[in-house]
Amino acid sequence: MIDNLYLAWQYVRFNRAKYWTLVACITLVAFLPIALELLLDESEKQLLSRAVTTPLVIGAKGSSLDLVMNSLYFGDEVPEIITMGAAQDVAETSLALPIPVYVRFRARGHPIVGTTVDYFDFRGLDVADGRMIAVLGDCVLGATAAQRLGVGVGDGVVSSPETVFDLAGVYPLRMNIVGVLERTHTSDDLGIFVDLKTAWIMQGLVHGHQDLTTVEDQQLILTEEEGNVVGSPKVFEFTEITQENLDSFHFHGDEAAAPITAVIAVPVDEKSGTILRGRYLTPEAVHQIIVPKEVIDGLLTNIFRIKNVLDAVILVVGLATVLAMILVFALSLRLRRREIDTIFRIGCGRATITRLLAAEIGIIVVSSAVLIGALAAAVARYDHALVRMLFIR
Amino acid sequence: MSAVTRLSTLLIAGAVVAGLLVAHAPHAAADDPLTVYTVSYPLAYFAERIGGDHVKVTFPAPPDVDPAYWMPDANTIAGYQGADVILLNGAGYADWVEKTALSQFRLVDTAAGFADVLIELDDIVTHSHGPTGEHSHEGTLAFTTWLDFRLAVLQAGAVEEALSKRRPALAKELDANFEELKADLQAIDDAISEITASIEELPLVMSHPVYQYFTRRYGLNAVSVHWEPDVVPDAPQWLEFEELLQSHPAEWMIWEGEPLEASVAKLAAAGVGSTVFDPCGNRPEEGDFLAVMNENVENLRAAYED
Amino acid sequence: MISVRGLEFKYEGGEFHLTMPEFGVERGEKVAVIGPSGSGKTTLLNLLAGILSPVAGTITVAGTEVSALGDTERRDFRITTIGFVFQDFELLDYLTVTDNILLPYRITSALALDRDVRARATALAGEMGISDLVQRHPSELSQGEKQRAAICRALLPRPRLILADEATGNLDPVNKTHILDLLFRSVDHHEATLLAVTHDHELLDRFDRVADFKDFHAWGDA
Repeated sequence: MIDNLYLAWQYVRFNRAKYWTLVACITLVAFLPIALELLLDESEKQLLSRAVTTPLVIGAKGSSLDLVMNSLYFGDEVPEIITMGAAQDVAETSLALPIPVYVRFRARGHPIVGTTVDYFDFRGLDVADGRMIAVLGDCVLGATAAQRLGVGVGDGVVSSPETVFDLAGVYPLRMNIVGVLERTHTSDDLGIFVDLKTAWIMQGLVHGHQDLTTVEDQQLILTEEEGNVVGSPKVFEFTEITQENLDSFHFHGDEAAAPITAVIAVPVDEKSGTILRGRYLTPEAVHQIIVPKEVIDGLLTNIFRIKNVLDAVILVVGLATVLAMILVFALSLRLRRREIDTIFRIGCGRATITRLLAAEIGIIVVSSAVLIGALAAAVARYDHALVRMLFIR
Repeated sequence: MSAVTRLSTLLIAGAVVAGLLVAHAPHAAADDPLTVYTVSYPLAYFAERIGGDHVKVTFPAPPDVDPAYWMPDANTIAGYQGADVILLNGAGYADWVEKTALSQFRLVDTAAGFADVLIELDDIVTHSHGPTGEHSHEGTLAFTTWLDFRLAVLQAGAVEEALSKRRPALAKELDANFEELKADLQAIDDAISEITASIEELPLVMSHPVYQYFTRRYGLNAVSVHWEPDVVPDAPQWLEFEELLQSHPAEWMIWEGEPLEASVAKLAAAGVGSTVFDPCGNRPEEGDFLAVMNENVENLRAAYED
Repeated sequence: MISVRGLEFKYEGGEFHLTMPEFGVERGEKVAVIGPSGSGKTTLLNLLAGILSPVAGTITVAGTEVSALGDTERRDFRITTIGFVFQDFELLDYLTVTDNILLPYRITSALALDRDVRARATALAGEMGISDLVQRHPSELSQGEKQRAAICRALLPRPRLILADEATGNLDPVNKTHILDLLFRSVDHHEATLLAVTHDHELLDRFDRVADFKDFHAWGDA
C-alpha cells in the first residue's frame, strides 16, 4: 500500500495543476455547506442564547429588530432615543427591575454601553482584572474589547465623535479603564461599559468646567449679571474626568428626560411580566415592549429559509462537481491507458492498478478533507466575529 | 440541528431564564436581611430602628468627616453598589452620589415627599453657559432637613416605605417600629417647641449655617456665622461678629460641636453663652441619634432657662 | 531457455492465426527476430511473457511452462523472470529516472524493494552511464538516455530473459549501436538471454542467431 501511495503521490505531485484544481473544487463545494452550517449554528446559539436570557426590552416604537440588535448585541443601528423616564415608569410599577441601556457612542469601533450597575448583576458579569465602575468617567471593558484595543486597567480609551464635524454635541471623552470583564463569549466581550451619566457626559448633558463664581481669569466670563455669571466660549470643556475635576461635573436638567436607547426589564415573576407587557399594548403607549426571543426566532426563521435555498443551490452545484470530477477521472484514465498497459505488461496486477488509482483519488480526497477541516476550524475559531459581521452589523 | 437538540436547547435556555429571573429579581429572597446603605447617620439610625433584624445597615463614612461633603473611595462605592437600598437624605446632601455609578432604582430620596418645603439658599451664585441657560450647583438647598423633627418623621416614613416595598411581608412589623420611632422624634419636636416657645424671639447666633430647617420649624430669631468649633475665630470674623451683635443682640451661640475653651471664653467676655446642638450628621462617638438629640434638647433647655 | 512446441494462437474474433511447430532459444543466446510488420513478432513476445495464452501447444521459459500458469502466477513469473525493453521506452513521465528503474519493485509483492536493490539500481545506472540523470524526469532526457533508463528497469529484477521489441527503432544510428552494445554487455554480464524483435538488418550480424518469421506459418495481420 505504501508503494501505491508513493506512486500516486508522485503522480499527483507531477500533475500539480490538475491536483490543486480538483482539491479546490471538492474543498469549495464541501466547505460551503459546512461553513454555512457552522455559522448558522453559531448565530443561532449566539443570538438565541442572549435573547432567551433577556426577558423584556422596552424601546421606541419602530423596528423591533433594530431595538434587539442594539440593546442585546450592541449593533450599529441606533434605535430612536427614548428617555430615562421610561425606565422610571417601569420602576414605579414594581413589576420588574428596569435596566436602562444607552448604546449610541463608540470608541475605536467598540460600542460604549451606558447602563447601571444592575446590568452587570443581570448578565452575571464579573471583573477579571481591576474593579467595577465607581465614579463618572470610569469604564470596564469586555475581554475582547480590551484585547483588540490593546489596553488594560489604568489605561484610557477615548470615545469617537459621532461625526467628524460634530462640534456642538458630542465631546470626545477620555474614559478611565478601571476593570476588564471576564470573557463571556457574548456581545458583552465587545463592549465598553460606563455608567449612564458618563454616556451623558459624552453628549454634553453632564459636564464639568472651571467654577465661574471663583474664577480669576476674567476672560472666561462674558457678562456678570445680578447673581448670574455667563461663561464665555473660552470656558474649558473637560475631555477627561479626574479626581480633581470630578466635583465640577454636574447634570443639566431633568434626569427623567435624559436619553437612553432601551430599557431591559427583568420581571419579578412571570405574572408581573405579563402585566407589564399589557401596559404597553394600549394605543396611548409611546413605547413598545418586546420579547427578544420572539424577535430573534423570527429572524432565525428567515435566515433558515435562506439557508434552505442555499442548501438546494449547493446540492445542485455539488452534484455538478461530482459529475465533472467523474469526467476528469475518466479522461485521465484514458490519457493513462498506455501507462497502465505498460505496467501491466511488466507484471503489475489489475488489483494493484486499481489500488494505484484509488490511492490517487484518496490523496485528493484526504487533501480536500484536511483543507476543509482547517477552514472549518478557522470558521469555528472566528465564528463569533463572523456571525457579528454577517448578522449583527 | 435536530428536533431533539433544538428542544433541549430551548429547555436549557428556559431554565437559565427562570434562574436569572429568580437571581435578579429586584426583591431578593425574603429571608435574607436587606442590605441598606445610607449617606448620613440619621438615616442609618432610622433604618436600624425601623428594620431591626431584618436589615443590615451600613453607613461607611469615617468618623472624622462631614458626610455631606465626603467622597467615598472605589471600594466603598462598590459596597453601595451592592446594596438593596441606598437611602439618600435628598436636598443636595452628599452630592457625591451624582458622580458615582449607583443604580438609580436602588436610591431612595427620603426628602422627595417634601420637595416643596425645602429651603433654597439665596447667597449662592448661579451661572449659565451652553444651551440650557442659567442653572446652579450643589449647595443651593439647605440640607440638614432632619433638624426639623417633623421633616425627620417624614424621612423616617420614607425609609419605612422603602423597606416595606422590598419586604411586603414585614410591613406590619416595620410599621410598628416606625410608629415607635415617630413617637420618639415627636417627643423631641414637642420638647424643642415647648422650650423655644418659652422665650419668643430670643436672639441666637448659629456657629454654622446648618440650622435653616431648625430655625424655621421652631420660629427662632437666629443669624448664622461661619465658625468652626475646633478653630478660634480670627480677627475679621470677630469684628464681623461684634458688628452683628449691634443689630442682633444675641445671648447664646449654638455650636455644631463642643467649641474650644478659648472661643467660649471670648464669647463669654462679650456676654454670649455657648451651647451645643449637634446635628449628628455622622455617627456619634457615644450613644445614638436619640441620645444626642436628647442631650441637645437639654442643652437648649439650659440656655433658654438661663 | 525457451522451448515452444506445437504452438497455435489466434486472436479472438480476429483473422490472425499463428502456428509455430517448434522454436527454441538456448540459455545465454542473443537471438534476433525478424519478419514483415504484422507477421506476429510482438504476438510471440506476448505469448512468451504469458500476456497472451496459446490455443494449443506448450511454451516453456526458463523451465516454467508458462501456458500452464494461472493469472497471478503468470504475472509473478513475468515480473521476476522477464525484462521488457520497448520501442517507445514506456517510462512513466511522472517518476524520476530512479523511480522508473525501481518501478517493478513498487507494483508487485513478488519483489521486495530493499537497500540492496537500491544499490544495484545505482550501479546499473552507472553501468548505463546515466548516474547524473537519476533525479530527472523522462521529459528531461534524450531518446538514448531514455532507453538506457528503460534497460536499467528491465535488468534490475535480474531477469533470465530479456524481450526487446524494436528497442533501437526510435534511435539515431550512433545511439542504436551504442544501446545495442550496452544491452549485449548487460545481457552477458547478467547471464541473461536476449530475444530481440528488430527491423535493423544492418545489426543482425551482431546476434548469435536470427529467427525469420517467414519460417513460421502466419495468416492475417497481427
